[in-house]
Amino acid sequence: MSQAHSQSSGAPILHGAGVLREVEPAVLPRPKLVENDRSFAWITDKVMGIIEGPTPRWWWWSMAVAVFVASFTVMGLAYLVSTGTGTWGLANPVNWGWAIVNFVFWIGIGHAGTLISAILCLLRQKWRTSVNRAAEAMTIFAVVCAGLFPVFHTGRVWFALYPGFLFPFPNSNGIWPNFHSPLEWDVFAISTYGTVSALFWYVGLLPDLATARDRFFVAGRMMRAKIYGFFAMGWRGSNRHWSNYEMAYLLLAGLSTPLVLSVHTIVSFDFAVSLVPGWHTTIFPPYFVAGAIFSGFGMVLTLMLPLRSIYRMNDLITQYHIDCMCKITLATGTMVGYAYAMEFFIAWYSANPFEGFAFINRAFGHYAWAYWTMISCNVITPQLFWFRKVRENTALVWVLSIFVNVGMWFERFVITVTSLARDFLPSSWGYYSPTVVDIFTYFGTFGVFSVLFLLFVRFVPLMAVAEIKAVTPQADAHAGHGHGEAHH
Amino acid sequence: MSNNTFGLVARFDSPAAVMHAAEEVRDAGYKHWDVITPFPIHGMDAAMGLRRSLVPRFTLVGGITGFTLGMLGIWYMNAFDYPLAVGGKPMFSPMFAFPVSYELTILLSAFGTIGGMFILNRLPMHYHPVLKYDKIERVTDDEFLIVVEARDPKFTPDGARKLFQKLGAKEISDLEN
Amino acid sequence: MSASHAATVSHAPAEQPRLVNPIVPLGVGAAGILLTLVGAFMASSPEATTRVGYSWLIGMTFWTGLSIGILLLVQIHHIFDAGWSTIIRRTHEHWLAVFFPLALLFAPLVVLVWMHPGFIWKWTDIAQVGGDILYTKKSGFLSRGAFTGFTIAFFGVWIWLSYRLRKASFAQDVDGSADHTRANRVTAAYGIPATALSLTFAAFYWLMSLEYHWFSTMYGVWFFASCIRGALALTTLLCIYLVSRGILAGIFRKAHLLNLGNLMLAFTVFWAYITFSQYFLIWNANIPEETFWYNIRETGNWWNVGLILIFGHFLLPFLFFLQHPLKKKNGSMIFICTWILAIILLDFFYNILPAIKVDGAHGDPVNFHVTPWDVTALVGIGGVCFWAFFNSYAKQRCIPVRDPRIVESLHLHE
Repeated sequence: MSQAHSQSSGAPILHGAGVLREVEPAVLPRPKLVENDRSFAWITDKVMGIIEGPTPRWWWWSMAVAVFVASFTVMGLAYLVSTGTGTWGLANPVNWGWAIVNFVFWIGIGHAGTLISAILCLLRQKWRTSVNRAAEAMTIFAVVCAGLFPVFHTGRVWFALYPGFLFPFPNSNGIWPNFHSPLEWDVFAISTYGTVSALFWYVGLLPDLATARDRFFVAGRMMRAKIYGFFAMGWRGSNRHWSNYEMAYLLLAGLSTPLVLSVHTIVSFDFAVSLVPGWHTTIFPPYFVAGAIFSGFGMVLTLMLPLRSIYRMNDLITQYHIDCMCKITLATGTMVGYAYAMEFFIAWYSANPFEGFAFINRAFGHYAWAYWTMISCNVITPQLFWFRKVRENTALVWVLSIFVNVGMWFERFVITVTSLARDFLPSSWGYYSPTVVDIFTYFGTFGVFSVLFLLFVRFVPLMAVAEIKAVTPQADAHAGHGHGEAHH
Repeated sequence: MSNNTFGLVARFDSPAAVMHAAEEVRDAGYKHWDVITPFPIHGMDAAMGLRRSLVPRFTLVGGITGFTLGMLGIWYMNAFDYPLAVGGKPMFSPMFAFPVSYELTILLSAFGTIGGMFILNRLPMHYHPVLKYDKIERVTDDEFLIVVEARDPKFTPDGARKLFQKLGAKEISDLEN
Repeated sequence: MSASHAATVSHAPAEQPRLVNPIVPLGVGAAGILLTLVGAFMASSPEATTRVGYSWLIGMTFWTGLSIGILLLVQIHHIFDAGWSTIIRRTHEHWLAVFFPLALLFAPLVVLVWMHPGFIWKWTDIAQVGGDILYTKKSGFLSRGAFTGFTIAFFGVWIWLSYRLRKASFAQDVDGSADHTRANRVTAAYGIPATALSLTFAAFYWLMSLEYHWFSTMYGVWFFASCIRGALALTTLLCIYLVSRGILAGIFRKAHLLNLGNLMLAFTVFWAYITFSQYFLIWNANIPEETFWYNIRETGNWWNVGLILIFGHFLLPFLFFLQHPLKKKNGSMIFICTWILAIILLDFFYNILPAIKVDGAHGDPVNFHVTPWDVTALVGIGGVCFWAFFNSYAKQRCIPVRDPRIVESLHLHE
């Protein structure tokens, strides 16, 4: 290297096209996205093998557990609907409790899926291809879990679908929904988010469904070939199609990015448009978005690390992928920490005694245990990801990802409950505790989520096969031509 | 060849080979032809001489419709048909109408994008001669096809076959309708 | 991957690069600064002198903001291990030479805080605000000592980070070691949080505390968004200019221009998102302690300025950047980038100038107006920045020739 460089005898050329003669890059290879130089066919076999092979025993056991856990949500909701919303632990002054905490928690988890599929697509972060399919599935299932809470908090859930209550249609009195209310904005934000995420996911699936169709056809499993073929819509890999497809995918990524920001922004508006101390602060929109992405990456790690080891996917989800996800968790965790600091600082700086009290109360009041759980899990835990040794210890990363999930649940709990339990009138102060119905309903949603995710793992290609192939070195059609060709 | 012929198909085993072949087929002046690949190959649109996709126009129409619908709808519902005074706010203001109109913009843009993609691609089309190709499962896996259709004015069975042979196709075969 | 590249890079028709003599912008800058000083001493009334001080603050905010944005872009490049922007990064690194001169140019404002309390920031005059409970509650933060110390610390952080980033990058040109790239990643890893915190509190001290009753947790994020947008626009203009001088000819190409355009689209939306959210939450909650800040900006001709900001800061650039062909043309990009820089300047006027009241106390703000000293201050500070920039450019290469990602950047295609 150094000898080669010394050719530039005399003064170096500093400017103009002549400087190109001095170009001689230092060697720092980019990490491989698919280890061991796997072939296209290997990737197809590996991913499609999961849905083609026999159902593994662990899958049945997991499914049994998941269904059992999910039954708690069914019990909780059945009791709620048959008895009334009074069975939840809501009581003056805390009229928002676990339901909205759980709603925000699950919606937030979904956001990492959209981040991986959309924002990283726009940023051309190629490592996203191995994890985006599962992360998008996670998004959709998380939205399902989240949606349960606002729908069922109406008590008589059939009213949620009645005209005029949630969706705009005049009811029998000719009244329309109130569009001044952030809760009505939520209806649109969440339903748009669910719809667009599902469509984005489906569009991404088309080529892989076609692959599944053709492989089942060759294997003679006609029933499956027909089902996958139906959903593949006759995709045949025509480049004239790819051209429109890639444009549509890029546009959907471009639409999903502002969408994901807007969804958690609107969720933050639920709090921030009010006058409650600790809720009304202008940084809420980006702060909620950062927190959502943070919690979502926690969940992606929680889900992907076990799958990686069960299906021996180390060549597709490499250490580099884990590094990237850990670093995003670190970055977003630090952003959340920045927002906590700003809230605290401005609460003091505003010189508003109610604001100041709300934050002192959070940190040192009756709910201090929740506050410090939140701080340790969300701000301190991710700082461990600064260290390579930590990122390379998969088991430890998995444990830390759980902490992230816990911390983000507590963040929503702290925001919702501490501000309400100590409102403007000391005479009405209270202490909120959930009831067993609350606990059942929330606990069960992990089962609902797991049931859906297990079905996904079993029946849908776990990774975006076509996209992974497209980022392998052998997919580069210019590779054989030499670099001069790339100059257009 | 009978009238039942859809065209001639050649199989290649690397992205570079099919890219090079596509450039040659384009330069030979064919109009009704296609490249079939298991994943999008970067630069293939230029190699085929395709124009930039028209999907964005559908997106734009969807977006404008969504935003207009949101603003007008909220004005109609909360300020015109049944005026609703809440929180000392005006009956209608683009401020509070913005979040919902924004969501509708995104929603209808997404519908436009996906609908546009399906319309431009003429999908769903569950029957297509290419899907009858006997090694189609390799083409959605790791191999690449070029199809020249018989309806192309420049198409002659021998001409296309010679071109494919020259381009180093791994296998050349007829495709029936 | 290494030695063969030098030979395979194709050459654009070699145009003789014509460097700018750094003396020229320095002369322009010195003239601007002198004229501003003349303006300050010739002012007919104390109010007019104060107005010249505000001109200086606006100029400082503008150029410092752009430079912070560029500092962030360099660090973001490193933290993402980005490839395409490598050739642009060197131009950024040359720009990073501006922080030391900027610190010196900021010094008069700090000195004035001590010599003429209340000259620009009303709270610096304890005699006036000492009886105001809303001041005494926050006097721990809003004190002249803290203001001075923090301002020195902010510039210290920016100078230190720029020094680290520039030094490692230039050293790599000589020895071609990948260690410099790794070192810069480390600098960026701690540098981004450090820059984020310093720019936030700089925005609090320099801008938000002009109206010291008012507060917004979003204000730092708003300043960040403005910095990045301005930095991208400035980058684009610099690169197009350097191409026309033959310095980056054949290096900075349409594909880079398109990428910059796409980034500007993203940050146009981001700026709108932040600004809308701040306004919207204050509008909706309707608490007097917050709304007064916007209320005074609806008096006089500030209302019209607000409307210009909505349409000119967001809508026009947004619609522009949605047009794919426009992002690939030099002419249209020069137009929109100049527009964005101008409108960012207007936004700083909007944030800063209403702090001057008609009756000198708490009444209505003075109308929006531009004085000659606004122009001279802007040109003066800008001239010095360009002097530092071209001075650095004359000494080091225009691209980091031995960066590990340089070939990716040179071969970027759309």
